[in-house]
Amino acid sequence: MAGADLDLLQGTLDVLVLKSLSWGPRHGYAVAQWIRDRTSEDLRIEDGALYTALHRLERRRLVKAEWGVTDTGRKAKYYQMTAAGRDELGARTSRWTTYANAVFRVLRTVEG
Amino acid sequence: MKRIFRLAVRPPSIEQDVDTEIEFHLATEVERLMGEGMTPAEARRAAERQFGDRERVRAGLVAIDAETRRADRRRDWWGDLRRDLGNALRMLRRSPGFAVVAILTLGLGIGATTAIFSVVDGVLLRPAPFPDIDRLVVIWETDRHSGSFREPTSIPDYADFGSRSRELGQLAAFMPAEVNYSSATDDPARLPSLVITHQYLSMVGITPIAGRTFLEEEDRPGAPRVAMISEAMWVERFARSEGIVGRSIRLNDVEHVVVGVLPSTADFGTLQLLGAADYGGGFADRGGQRRVDIWLPLRASPATADRGNHPIFVMGRLSPMSTIATAQHELDRVAADLEQAFPDANDGRGVQVEALPDVVFGAVRPALGMLAGAVALVGLIACVNVANLLLARGTARMREVTVRAALGASSSRLTRQFLVEGAVLSGLGALVGVAIAAGALRLMMALAPASIPRVQAVSIDLRVLTVTLLLTAVVGGVFGMVPALQARWRGLDLSRSPGSSRGASRGREDRQFRSVLVVAELALAVMLMVGAGLLIRSFWELYQVDPGFRAAGVLKAEFQLPTSRYPQRMQDWPNWQEARQFTDELRRRALALPGAVAVGIAGSHPLESGFTSSIVVIGREAEAADWPEPSIRAVDPWYFETMQVPVLAGRSFSASDDASGLSVVVINAAARDRFFGDRDPLGQAIRLWGAQRTVVGVVVNERFKGLAQPGAPAVYLPSTQAPLGGGSLLVRATGDPLLLAAGVRAIVHDLDPALPIFGVEPLVDTMAGTTGERRFAMLLLATFAGLALLLAAVGVHGVLSYSVAQRTREIGIRMALGADRRSIRRLVLAQGARLVMIGLAIGILGAMAVTRLLTSLLYAVRPSDPATIAAVVVGLGSIALLASWLPARRAAGVDPVETLGEE
Repeated sequence: MAGADLDLLQGTLDVLVLKSLSWGPRHGYAVAQWIRDRTSEDLRIEDGALYTALHRLERRRLVKAEWGVTDTGRKAKYYQMTAAGRDELGARTSRWTTYANAVFRVLRTVEG
Repeated sequence: MKRIFRLAVRPPSIEQDVDTEIEFHLATEVERLMGEGMTPAEARRAAERQFGDRERVRAGLVAIDAETRRADRRRDWWGDLRRDLGNALRMLRRSPGFAVVAILTLGLGIGATTAIFSVVDGVLLRPAPFPDIDRLVVIWETDRHSGSFREPTSIPDYADFGSRSRELGQLAAFMPAEVNYSSATDDPARLPSLVITHQYLSMVGITPIAGRTFLEEEDRPGAPRVAMISEAMWVERFARSEGIVGRSIRLNDVEHVVVGVLPSTADFGTLQLLGAADYGGGFADRGGQRRVDIWLPLRASPATADRGNHPIFVMGRLSPMSTIATAQHELDRVAADLEQAFPDANDGRGVQVEALPDVVFGAVRPALGMLAGAVALVGLIACVNVANLLLARGTARMREVTVRAALGASSSRLTRQFLVEGAVLSGLGALVGVAIAAGALRLMMALAPASIPRVQAVSIDLRVLTVTLLLTAVVGGVFGMVPALQARWRGLDLSRSPGSSRGASRGREDRQFRSVLVVAELALAVMLMVGAGLLIRSFWELYQVDPGFRAAGVLKAEFQLPTSRYPQRMQDWPNWQEARQFTDELRRRALALPGAVAVGIAGSHPLESGFTSSIVVIGREAEAADWPEPSIRAVDPWYFETMQVPVLAGRSFSASDDASGLSVVVINAAARDRFFGDRDPLGQAIRLWGAQRTVVGVVVNERFKGLAQPGAPAVYLPSTQAPLGGGSLLVRATGDPLLLAAGVRAIVHDLDPALPIFGVEPLVDTMAGTTGERRFAMLLLATFAGLALLLAAVGVHGVLSYSVAQRTREIGIRMALGADRRSIRRLVLAQGARLVMIGLAIGILGAMAVTRLLTSLLYAVRPSDPATIAAVVVGLGSIALLASWLPARRAAGVDPVETLGEE
């Protein structure tokens, strides 16, 4: 999904990425994998966009990054949510939920 | 996740990190896809397609990370700064004694400097309100016979200067006046005013803020009455109302139409010019702060004006090619021509051309220069003190610094910490300083003599604050570097162990340097104190001068009777009925006031120089050719008694000296000496104002030209023969003269509700006003000297305390070896005394060199006055020795067991 909806996508990506980090530090590949699994590949996200989201979140200090070593001995960059990131996740989640429910309510209306 | 430690060799660049991350992702994905059965090549292609435009993403990530790194750096920098600030403040809190002394000292130094700089800036440095003020000149007339060179001019002379001069492109004239302002709503008031020729304002370059200036037609005799008012008056009396132009106001009982309003800068320089004049200064001679509220056209006719009467002051603007020298040359010729053409009026009259800035600022430049010098000295002393304090503290902190350096603090980090400490110290000092400066300025403006131009406009404005800030930054930087430099001096080496940095030899170098600083402080303080002492002594001498009359207990109240209701026509002279009735009744009622013991009325009160006129002694007319004009003073018969002016010979006036009898005069001792020499003046006749008058008495010289001026010749006329159209009511009271003020006002109001009464004050206040400049300079210099003394004493105390603290071990040894407490005390006192003596010696030499600059402000005291120097030596010496006493006592209290056991 590229093109005109990119900005909207970026905002949504941020929420998904933050959520993916709720259970502890993960490297970028693991984040991508988790999102892919959870969305059952319904959302086609370019991995590059994901990394852009991760780095932007780091710049905004919503996540912090640290270099580490995987079980297989490879050097990888691990991301972890900060307290500010946790707050942002909470705020965004409730906003998204309200938004989605409202739209859903409209769309589910049956004529009559 | 396993953490890895980054080696401090060379951290990977942003690009390298991004590449690593992307590569990891792709490699992992490729692995997974291969696990699902793809070939390596297929997997690679799929992974890369899934990733997106790799180059673009990479570039994006690098950019984001670069921003992140920059933001991080900024945060770190601010964080470090906040930490440094916190540390600095904490350190100051830990040593409150040091903090208070250092901040106060800095505050005093910065405050004094800021205050004086505000004054110098506001008065001298700010651009004058007249454009091209350097091209404006004052054209005085001079009198060869009396030796004066700043006299006003006659109207015909002014017209001739104008028509005959080419060096002066424009010419204008003005004269001071005071007008009675009356209105239905306000109390009658007497307002200072300037009577100008119509070209004056355009020549100096002032435009009205409302309306227009005078037209040429309005500057002719008989023209309709117009006036301009000042902006301040417009605000105060008319609430800045729109309809001011065209409104009619009542001046001297005559309606004048207001044609314009002038800005407050319009009267710039006139007060100083009038003050500099030998006479004719009008309201400027009154002292106090004057503001010109009313402007009137001169309405003179050169053809009919009297050439022997000199009421106006002339200013001109040089033509483009002219200089003061060429203008002077030309006008000298013109004056010589006039002297030949009109020998009666212009005999001995020449011309002096002086640049206007010199007239306005000339008197004040040396005084301000002295102040600036004094404040620089105080500032220097303050800085020296703080430097000493910092050095002492720096030595004490050497251990801490060494440890921190050993732990890895980079030298730039340490330097920055020191700079922050210095900045905090000087910042706090600046806050204190600006507060002190604001207060000091307010005080100064209240006391400042009016002769300082623009003094009312002095304030701590943006310019001054900027300079203060710069000063603070420099001071902060310098002081911040002191500990850093100190560290470098000692060759601070990271490899050395902390204890060894307190080597004995280093300590002594330090102590010597600090001693040198204290000696310098003492010398500077001596210089200031000698200067202040000289001024104080001058002031004292001045106040010892016998003014010729007794001012204490006398209330003065001035009035001018407007000719509209009190005709003062020449044909009726000396029978001015209404005026005579008023003054008689005024006197009678004033005498009836409770507490009044004597009342006199005079045309000029004893501190007014009044006007002069020429006299000749009948029978010796030829001698009068080069006589100065004596002051002519009309007084009522009770004046000399009220003012307690002793009569030296003959008698004073009595009520029987009236218009029907012999015309009499009384002269003062100076007039007797100058005009009669050894001859007896009593019974001699003089001619004054065309009439013959007999001298019946000689009185003591009144110092009406100011306490510093010895007696000038004066001739007194009785008011019964020379009626008064105005003057001063002088009431001597048993108690405080001020208590009679309300009563006097009530009397005048009762006699004539529309007559303003002004200048109501005890005569001693008027007298104090005449010494305004001296007093001001003296107060300022004395304050600075006091500050300097305080700071120097603190400095001496500091250096000796520190020395004692450093030498406790040595003292312990001495005591263990048998020295008793007294000899230890003597040791420290001797050290202090040595410093003080060297400081005094250098200071006295310096003072003798520098006080020569004060000569113009001194009265009856030499710049090298030995009594003052002796007083300063004793004063400073004793304070300094007192400051040494405390450390000496502390040294004597050292317990040798403790100190020796310490190591």
